[in-house]
Amino acid sequence: MNRFDYIRPGSVAEAVAAASEPGAAYLAGGTNLLDLMKIGVAAPDKVIDITRLPGLDRIDWLEDASVRIGAMVRNAELARNTAFSAAFPAISEALLSGASPQLRNAATVGGNLMQETRCAYFQDPLSRCNRRAPGSGCDALEGHNRSHAVLGWTPSCIATHPSDFCVPLAALGAIVEIEGPDGSREIDLAALHELPGSESAGGIALKHGEMITALRLPAEATSFAGHSRYLKLRERTSFAFALVSAAAMLSMEQGTITEARIALGAVAARPWHATDAETFLKGKKAEAEVFAEAAGIALKEASPSGDNAFKITLATRVLTRALTLAAKGTPDRVPALPASVFMSSEGATANA
Amino acid sequence: MKDAVDAKLIVNGVEAGVEIAPGRRLSQALREDLGLRGTKVGCDAGDCGACTVLIDGSPVCACLTPAAQAVGRDVRTVESFENGVLDNLQQSFLRHGAAQCGICTPGMLVAASALLTRKPVPTRTEVEDALGGVLCRCTGYAKIVTAVMEAGLAPEPVEAPMAGQAVGAAIERLDGVPKVAGREQFGADMIREGMLAVRAIRSPHESTGFTLGDIAAWAAERGVEVFTAADIPGENRFSVIPAFRDQPALAVSHARMRGEAIALVAGEPEVIEALNLVDFPVTWVPEVSLGDPDQAEVGDAPRMHEDREGNILIRGLVQRGDAEAALRSATHVAEFAMETGYVEHAYIEPEAGIAWMEDDVLVIRACTQAPVMDRDDTALVLGLPPERVRIIPAAAGGGFGSKLDLSLQPLIGLVTLKTGRPARMIYTRRESMSSTTKRHPARMRARAGIDAKGRIAGFEFDGQFNTGAYASWGPTVAVRVPVHASGPYFMGDYRARSRAVHTNGPVSGAFRGFGVPQAAILQETLFDDLAIKARIDRLQFRKLNALKDGEPTVCGQELSGVGIADCLESLTPHWDEALARAAVINAQKGRVRRGVGVASCWYGCGNTALPNPSTIRAGLRSDGTLWLHQGATDIGQGANTVIAQIFADALGVPVGRIGLIGGDTALTPDCGKTSASRQTFITGKAAQLAGAALRAQLLAMTNMGEGATLSLDEGRVCVTDGTRDTAIELANLQVQPDGYVISAEESYDPPTGALDENGQGAPYAVYGYGAQIAELDVDIELGTVKVVRMVAAHDLGRVINPMLAEGQIEGGIAQGLGLALMEEYIPGRTENLHDYLIPTFGDMPEIQSILIERPDPEGPFGAKGLGEHVLIPTAPAILNAIRHACGARLKRVPALPHRVLAAIREAGEIGG
Ligand SMILES: Cc1cc2nc3c(=O)[nH]c(=O)nc-3n(C[C@H](O)[C@H](O)[C@H](O)COP(=O)(O)OP(=O)(O)OC[C@H]3O[C@@H](n4cnc5c(N)ncnc54)[C@H](O)[C@@H]3O)c2cc1C
Ligand code: SF4
Ligand code: FES
Ligand code: FES
Repeated sequence: MNRFDYIRPGSVAEAVAAASEPGAAYLAGGTNLLDLMKIGVAAPDKVIDITRLPGLDRIDWLEDASVRIGAMVRNAELARNTAFSAAFPAISEALLSGASPQLRNAATVGGNLMQETRCAYFQDPLSRCNRRAPGSGCDALEGHNRSHAVLGWTPSCIATHPSDFCVPLAALGAIVEIEGPDGSREIDLAALHELPGSESAGGIALKHGEMITALRLPAEATSFAGHSRYLKLRERTSFAFALVSAAAMLSMEQGTITEARIALGAVAARPWHATDAETFLKGKKAEAEVFAEAAGIALKEASPSGDNAFKITLATRVLTRALTLAAKGTPDRVPALPASVFMSSEGATANA
Repeated sequence: MKDAVDAKLIVNGVEAGVEIAPGRRLSQALREDLGLRGTKVGCDAGDCGACTVLIDGSPVCACLTPAAQAVGRDVRTVESFENGVLDNLQQSFLRHGAAQCGICTPGMLVAASALLTRKPVPTRTEVEDALGGVLCRCTGYAKIVTAVMEAGLAPEPVEAPMAGQAVGAAIERLDGVPKVAGREQFGADMIREGMLAVRAIRSPHESTGFTLGDIAAWAAERGVEVFTAADIPGENRFSVIPAFRDQPALAVSHARMRGEAIALVAGEPEVIEALNLVDFPVTWVPEVSLGDPDQAEVGDAPRMHEDREGNILIRGLVQRGDAEAALRSATHVAEFAMETGYVEHAYIEPEAGIAWMEDDVLVIRACTQAPVMDRDDTALVLGLPPERVRIIPAAAGGGFGSKLDLSLQPLIGLVTLKTGRPARMIYTRRESMSSTTKRHPARMRARAGIDAKGRIAGFEFDGQFNTGAYASWGPTVAVRVPVHASGPYFMGDYRARSRAVHTNGPVSGAFRGFGVPQAAILQETLFDDLAIKARIDRLQFRKLNALKDGEPTVCGQELSGVGIADCLESLTPHWDEALARAAVINAQKGRVRRGVGVASCWYGCGNTALPNPSTIRAGLRSDGTLWLHQGATDIGQGANTVIAQIFADALGVPVGRIGLIGGDTALTPDCGKTSASRQTFITGKAAQLAGAALRAQLLAMTNMGEGATLSLDEGRVCVTDGTRDTAIELANLQVQPDGYVISAEESYDPPTGALDENGQGAPYAVYGYGAQIAELDVDIELGTVKVVRMVAAHDLGRVINPMLAEGQIEGGIAQGLGLALMEEYIPGRTENLHDYLIPTFGDMPEIQSILIERPDPEGPFGAKGLGEHVLIPTAPAILNAIRHACGARLKRVPALPHRVLAAIREAGEIGG
């Protein structure tokens, strides 16, 4: 790892000023950045440690019943926050299905949103990668791409966004608060991760020096608390990134779906908010065939980007199952093996 | 704003005496700046949890924590546990055998301590959840879970075994205290004054020429030294098997694999650490790589090694009777082809070690499984006589076969020899994975027939083993596979061929089982094909064909003490119960289907048809202390304990009286390598002989009969036969040059015979046997597999230590499960522990071990080997269970969801 300066600013303004200089990068929990620096993918000459900035580590319930989560709140702390997990059980489940206890203790909300793709060619500085080195090409296209994107990709980049946390967030219409050299702004979480285009490889839609300060969830997002699930398929039982995942959140009245929130993970360069499927479900009975059809709609546009057509099948089935589980009701507590397809029981009585 | 002011860490309640550069990782600060090396580094990427420490009571990975973020906070490491005595948790780890190699232990202890503070008596799920971020490659996790669950409970008092009762007792490992205390010194844990740090420049390509630029200028500019092949004083070619020497310590002008070292950079540790190797002056000229053995084998493929035609390293053959004729007249015949990929050993400790000069002797303390081989090969490369190289094995943080081969020994040796200064090298995880050996990928086809009664009538096997760029253990795999491809069954008409083919892939070497696990995957699933065709119960089918005492093996060897039938018999009630459970579940025709499978193993202990002696020395000092020179490397499997138990009983003293010395090529006689499941049998036998020889001397000196009892007192040995008591006053005896007043040294070399051109002969003196049942659930919509239960019956001949034996079984099953379900190494793409997945707590099923004792006439106290056997049946039993569940007949492991789904579709038995 190269030598770099370490800077610990005292305020957000100081942080933004320092980070706006060329070659600077924000450092939060470090669980992604330190690794990228070690493997030579990131080489900042200044890191701006923002973990001790005042006021960014709070969870505030606002007057309009929306909730504001500081960017420095740790993943574990958020998942275990009783009020939060009662209001957003699928988010807690998603968080707890990610990484390991040690990493969740360190990883921050902002860092999780900002984490880089796990594409093996992106992570290997000797490979061609448009995302890392624009215009150099994409070695994943002809390489090992079993786990790559099936939605929203172009030959410029077929990588996926690896976050679990972002999947229910995208479905619930989370808003990201940003401070930058040009002042403050807010964007939809869905717009934070840009899909690749015909030329561009996509990636994070922040300008250099911009910093995420908080995340907001709108008040209406709590109305799905009774029927919320996150389901994650991985190649080992725990402590692995998703092969495909799905967040399914329903509000129901007497067996009829009044409103649905759906997103898929690990299928595209952004958490994939499936709005057509949501619209389809509105007013439908909560039945197996209906869910299968909704899943089909969510994956309608999907196409393999390589040796991964099976991911379309798996994503369809995982989403169908997530919807089915959600309809049965949120479990009282997040089950052991959160979000696992191996959970032994289902529904509100699920294993505690 | 720059933070250098108050950069002092508070660790375990004590403020550090030195300032920490803010850019450092906490793991580096603890280990290198503060010398707290109890915190281990296995991956430097958050994947293994070996570096777990507490910050303000919360477990985090120190390797991904910037040291600056820990400043001013309460940092706790494993060193905080021990205040002179082991705490309850550490004792529980010791008592339950939860530490094998011990490299994961500090991380496990720290993560567990955070849980136990919240919940003194946690549930199984809570333990699995809290420890889920720490990987262990040795134990299969079962004993760790139990140790944590029971840490808060008062232990049942156990009495130390009396004289003559050590064999068979579940005693704690004799070398366990440093492991659970976090004091064990692994390869990376020793430093010496004035040491240099060493890093290697490695090929990024699979096949490449290269030219070096102005390295002298580059080195001078940075204040470092560079060493290349031109600096190697001896023969720049080594191999574990001398007849196949083909691997350079540093490549000369061409690298044959990714990760091959071409140069070394050595310098002051701070300089080396900060060095950017990207601009090292080398020009690569990549060439077409022979990635696939099919491609390498064709006639006009370029030769990777001059003298190896068709890139074939070696072929193996065993034949007996007439397989083809038997197959023609068989009632049922089944044929199938299967493939396996590269599998990585994934021990949690990447290779590491240190070298220094002691007078004119080069001392190397590094992780290894084969100290004497290391010494001889390192001496050869460095142009030294073997006496001028001394190897002191560091505690090995797992090995499983890969640490049999040289890795950094000649590299640090070269630097120390050239500079006269100590030199330390620690492989990164990527370096470890890309440059060291793997399990051979196999492409195999087999055909088997049965007669009307269900007895095997003809068996043919043909296997291609991708041996990668260099020979390593390729010859051993090619020879072992045809000997073992029958499984522990009687086959009169048999032909098995194998070949090891070079490619530009990673070197394939030794990995628990030397190719036998791959062959068993095909043979055992083919047996299910046959049983299903013939409508015979699959367990019954195996019993019907199981090898019996006196029946010739496929090599024509007649054995006694064949325990496979006993293993299969002991599984019968479990099999029936599991099948009944499956029938109930599957009657619901739900999305989850239950499957039950069984598979067997046999495995010859020791080198194949070659001498492989072990020598044990022991002696009494005049102060009455008893010392055992035990040179068999304990890589976690328990050799130190088991061999001492055998010795203790042969001598007739309590095992607690024995002091262990070794391993160290200067202090311990050669016990050979820790491989081929040979140590309990061969070194154990040498220990038994040495114990008996020492006993005979003592009895002769006192004129006592065989039945007399010995006891060691301060300065004397008391001998009694119940009617007469005498004592040998040790102080009155002459002290020998070796420091002992009475000593004995004995060797044992198992009686084996060479194999003829048809592979007929007596390749091993002792075999071990086993069979396992896998019970699992397949989600037929998603293709996921969850193993719920394994029952493992293994014939150990004589169980020396049941706790350690169980630990071997559980760990072997974990690796077999990984092979079956998730592990596949892809060069350049999975060189870390998040893309290369090994089982975690959550993947492990309940495991029930059944230890069978059918004594072997040759083994010490009847004992056989176990280390590799345990892994062999797991993967085929899982594959057989998957097929039982849903019809899916996999052609390739690992059985990842997409492969399972495709196989379900192909089978067409159920939807999916
Ligand atoms: C072994 C392992 C397994 C993992 N498994 C999973 C998994 O299963 N599921 C999952 O979802 N994630 C997983 N992760 C990823 C993990 O969640 C992320 O590493 C973590 O969330 C990043 O947070 P951090 O605070 O450590 O960010 P850092 O590493 O500090 O930063 C990451 C990036 O974000 C930038 N950044 C950080 N904070 C801000 C901010 N406030 N504003 C602007 N930029 C910022 C940094 O500059 C950097 O580029 C895994 C990680 C590891 C190491
Ligand atoms: S898929 Fe995207 S991230 Fe991966 S190599 Fe191609 S461009 Fe880079
Ligand atoms: S060394 Fe830190 S997690 Fe592996
Ligand atoms: S004992 Fe856990 S890795 Fe060896």
